[in-house]
Amino acid sequence: MVLRDLLKGFSFPNWFTPKFCRPLPLIFSQFREVLKANNQALEIIADMGEKLSGEYLFDLRYVEATVEEMIAAMHRAIGAINILTQDQCVALHEVFIPMETRVRAILNKRDDREGPPLLWLTEVETRHWPLVGGKAAHLSELLHNPKVRVPEGFVITTRLFHDLLDLNGLRPEFDRFEQALTETGFNEDELEMLRRTLQKKVLRAEPPSGLLETLAESLTRLAGSSELPLFLAVRSSAQEEDMDFSFAGQFHSELQVPPRAEAVYRAYLQVAASLFGAKAIHYRRQVFPEGSPMTIAACCQRMIMTRASGIIYSIDPMEPGSQSMVVVGALGQGQAVVEGQVPTDFFRISKGEPPQVVERVIAAKHEALLPTGATNGGLTMQAVANGQSEVPCLDEQTLLELARVAIHLETFFKRPQDIEWTVDPQGALYILQSRPLLITESERGKPKLSEQLEDYELIAVDAGRVAQQGIGAGPAFWVETLADLKEFPEGAVLISHRDSSQFVQVMHRAAAIVTEVGSPTSHMATLCRELRVPCLVGVPEIMAKVANGEEITVDAEDRRIYRGRVVELLTYQATTTMDLHMAPEFRMLRRILREVSRLNLVDPLMQEFRPEGCRTFHDVLRFIHETAVLHLVELGRDDRCLPGGLARRLDLPIQAGILAIDIGGGLAPDAPRDQVPFSAIRSIPFRAILQGMLFPGAWHQEAMSVSFRDMMHSMMTTPQDTLSGQYTGHNIAIISETYVNLCFRFGYHFNIVDAFCHDVERDNHIYFRFLGGATDIAKRSRRATLIATILEAFDFSIQTKGDLVIARTSNLAQPEMERTLDILGRLIGFTRQLDVQMTDDETVAQYVEAFLMGDYGIVARQGS
Amino acid sequence: MNENDPGVVRRLLVVDDEPIVGKRLHQVFTKIGFEIETYTDSATALVAIAERPFDVVVTDLKMEGIDGIEVLKRVRRQNPATQVIIITGYASPDTAELAQQEGVFAFLAKPFRLDELKQVIFRAIETQARGK
Repeated sequence: MVLRDLLKGFSFPNWFTPKFCRPLPLIFSQFREVLKANNQALEIIADMGEKLSGEYLFDLRYVEATVEEMIAAMHRAIGAINILTQDQCVALHEVFIPMETRVRAILNKRDDREGPPLLWLTEVETRHWPLVGGKAAHLSELLHNPKVRVPEGFVITTRLFHDLLDLNGLRPEFDRFEQALTETGFNEDELEMLRRTLQKKVLRAEPPSGLLETLAESLTRLAGSSELPLFLAVRSSAQEEDMDFSFAGQFHSELQVPPRAEAVYRAYLQVAASLFGAKAIHYRRQVFPEGSPMTIAACCQRMIMTRASGIIYSIDPMEPGSQSMVVVGALGQGQAVVEGQVPTDFFRISKGEPPQVVERVIAAKHEALLPTGATNGGLTMQAVANGQSEVPCLDEQTLLELARVAIHLETFFKRPQDIEWTVDPQGALYILQSRPLLITESERGKPKLSEQLEDYELIAVDAGRVAQQGIGAGPAFWVETLADLKEFPEGAVLISHRDSSQFVQVMHRAAAIVTEVGSPTSHMATLCRELRVPCLVGVPEIMAKVANGEEITVDAEDRRIYRGRVVELLTYQATTTMDLHMAPEFRMLRRILREVSRLNLVDPLMQEFRPEGCRTFHDVLRFIHETAVLHLVELGRDDRCLPGGLARRLDLPIQAGILAIDIGGGLAPDAPRDQVPFSAIRSIPFRAILQGMLFPGAWHQEAMSVSFRDMMHSMMTTPQDTLSGQYTGHNIAIISETYVNLCFRFGYHFNIVDAFCHDVERDNHIYFRFLGGATDIAKRSRRATLIATILEAFDFSIQTKGDLVIARTSNLAQPEMERTLDILGRLIGFTRQLDVQMTDDETVAQYVEAFLMGDYGIVARQGS
Repeated sequence: MNENDPGVVRRLLVVDDEPIVGKRLHQVFTKIGFEIETYTDSATALVAIAERPFDVVVTDLKMEGIDGIEVLKRVRRQNPATQVIIITGYASPDTAELAQQEGVFAFLAKPFRLDELKQVIFRAIETQARGK
C-alpha cells in the first residue's frame, strides 16, 4: 500500500502530494526561518544574559535598545512558526501580549503598578516580584522550598501603595520627593518637608473602596487554616529590600496585629509611611547615590506562637574566613533580639558535615517579649518562669537543624545569609526572613589577595569561559548521566562533560558548575545566571584533573580552579559582590531578564508544554523550537507528503534499504541518480548516523550467513522483510546538508530520528523515537529499557511508555552532535533484533554494559 | 606580560562619569594585584596624573568638561610612557582617527567584556615596558 503511494508520487509533475501538503523544500525553508527568528531572539536574550554575568560593562541605553530588538525578534519567531504550522500556534500571539507589556512596564519603571493589590504568598511568581517587594519575593521562594518552613500569609502589594497615592492626591508630592532623591544639590530643607508631609498624609490615607472587604475575606481564609487564634505580623517588603541590600531595620514592622481588616490596614499604613522615615531615606541615599524609585509592599503573615527566636548568620561576619556560623537567640519574640532589648544566648556552629556546636554562651534570660493576650493584640516584655532563664533557648537538635537550614539557604541564595528564625512550643522551626549578610572587611594590614592565592595549587588557569561570575567551593561531584543528579549533595561543585538545562534541578544546591564543553549562551548558562550559580564552561579535561568528591574552589571571575578550599577567595566574595548589582542598569536588566529568560517549560514531554504554559519569552521560544521539530517529525511520517519521485536508493555496505530524498545539499551534486554511495552523502547528521550503523560490528551482519544476506539484498528490490515476515513500510531519509528525518522500519521496530546539525549549537537537536510491536509486552519493555538506559547514559532526556521510547537532546556543539548521532546509528544497528535475544531482565543489563563498552559483538555471539 | 608576573605592581587610573565603571574596574584589578585609582570627573583625574605616574590610563570619551580626547592629549604630553585606552558607547570613525593621531593605545566600544579590557591593558603594559 505504501509502495503504491510512493509510486503515485512518481506521476506527479511537481512536489505536491494530493492534500494539505506543501512542497518539502518550502516546508524546510519555513523551518529554517523559524530557527533563524528563534535564534535571533535567543541570541539577544543570551547577549543580555551575558551582560548580567558580571563580565561586562554596559549602560542603560544598551538595555533600552536591546529590549526593542528582542521584542521585534519575538514577533518574527511567532510569525514564522505560524507560517510553518499553518496557524496552529496562533495562541502564541495572545500569550505574548502580556509578556511584552510587562517588559515595557519595566523599561518605563512602572512594573510595580500593574497587578492585584493583594496576593497570597503561595501565588507569588517571579513576575510579581516588583509588586511584592524583595522580602516577600524571598519568602515566596522559601515557601516552595521543602527544606524550609515559612508562616503562611499574603502580601499587600505596591499596587495598593500607588492606588493610595493617586486616590489621596499624593502623587505630585511623591514625584517631587523621588526627583529630589536623584538630584545632587537638592534643597535639603525642602526634602525634609516633603518627607514629613508624605509620612503624615500616608498615615491618614483613605483605602480604595472594596479593599477592606477583600482584606476581611483574606483574614477569614487565613484564620480558617489553623485552629490556633490568628494574629498577624505585618512587615515591610520594599523593592530591593533583601534583594541585594538588607535595609535591615530601616522600615517599620507591626507585630501581633489582630485579624481585623481595619487593624491590618492601619498596620500597613504604618509600614508604608516608614518609606519616608528619616533613617530609611538616609540609608537609601547611601546605597543608591544615583537615586532609584522605591515603593513599599507589606507581608502579612500568621504570627507563630513562639518559644524562642533569634538570628543565624550563615558565616561569622567577624571572621568571614572561618568555617563557622553564629546564632543568637532569646526566649519569646525575635523583635527583642534584633533591637537588642534582651540578653541573648550565643552559639557558634562549625560548618562541617555534620555541623557541630563548638561554642555556647548562655545568658540569664529573665524577660521575654510575648503577646499581651488581649484580643486587640500587642506584645509586652514579660518575666520568664523560674528555672527557665538559664536554660539554652535552643536544644542541640534544633540548633543543628537550624544550622542545616542556614547552610542550605546560603547555597540556595548563593551568598552568606542573615536569617531570622523562630521555634514554636512544639519545637517546629520557622524561617521568618532570609536576607543577604553584608560583611565589610578592613583592607588594612592584610596581604593582597593575589599574594595570598599564590599558596594554593591551581588545577586550571584561563579555564574555559564564564557563564556566570562568582566564586564557589565544595566537593566536586561528577554528573555523568542525568540520573546522577538525584544524588547531588548540598553545596557541591557540579562537574560534567557537557552542559544540560536539566542541571536546573540541582542549581539551588550547587556551589558552582564546571563543564568540559558548552558555551556561555546555552540554556544552562542562562539558568545559571538566573540562579546566580558561578559557572565556567568549556574547561577541557577537568574531569581528568579533579577526583570525584575532592574539594575544589572555582573562581568564575578570573577563570581559575584551585585544589582545596580557598578561604581568602570566599571571604573576598562575601565582602565584595554586593557592589556589582548596585547600578541601576544592572537592576533593570535583571528585572527584564526575570521576565524573559527564565525557562519554565523545561521538559517538552510534560503536559504544560503548550502555548498557555509559556510564562516567559524563553518559554515561548522553547515551545516554538520544539513545535517546529515535532512538525518536521510528523511530516516525515506522513506518507502523503513524501515525494517518492525523488527518492534515491543508497548503495551501502550494509543492507539497510534506505531511500534518500534530498531537499537541499544532502547529496553531492554529482551523485548518481540511483545507488548513491556513502561517499556522496553530504548531509552532516545523516552521515553521522550512517557512520554509526556502518561501524564494525554494530550492524552485526557477521552473524548472518552469506546466503541470508543475499536473500536480504534481493528482498530490498521487492519490499519485504524476511527477518520478520512483515514489511510495514519504507526506510526513508529526508535530508539536507544540515538536517535528517529518518524513518526506519525493521521488522518489529519502528525508529524515527530527526536531527538538525550545524555549527550553531543552539539550533541543534536530536529527536529519537523507537516503537516496537508484535512480540510479547515483557520483551518489548525490556528492549525499551535497554534503549532508554543507553541513551540516558548519553545524556538524552527520555520518556518511555510501554515499549515506546522518546529520547531528545539539543544544544550540542557540532562535534558532539556527530558523535551522538554516530552512537545512535550504532544503537539502531545493535537493537535491530535484540528483543528475540533478551530473554530475561538480567540480559538487559548485560547488553547495556556491552554496548557502553563498545562490545557490539555480543549480539552475534549470543545469537549464534 | 600577564597577571602572574610577580613583584611588579602595575598602576592604573580609570576615569569615567558612570560610577559603575570605576567600581567594577576597581574590583577586577585590585583582585589581580593592580594598584588602581578611579575618578568620575576628569579634572580631578588629571590632577592625580600630574602628581603620580601611571602605567595605563583608561578614560571614557564623552564626559562633562574635559573629554576623553583631551585627557589623552594631556597624558601623552605629560608622560609619553603612559598608555591610554579610551572606552566609549559612541565611537565614531572620526574620533577614532583623531584618537589614533594623538597616540591612543586602544579604543574599546561599550558594552565590552572585562576580560577584553584586561587583555588590552596587559598588552598596553607590555608595550609600555618595552618603551621604557
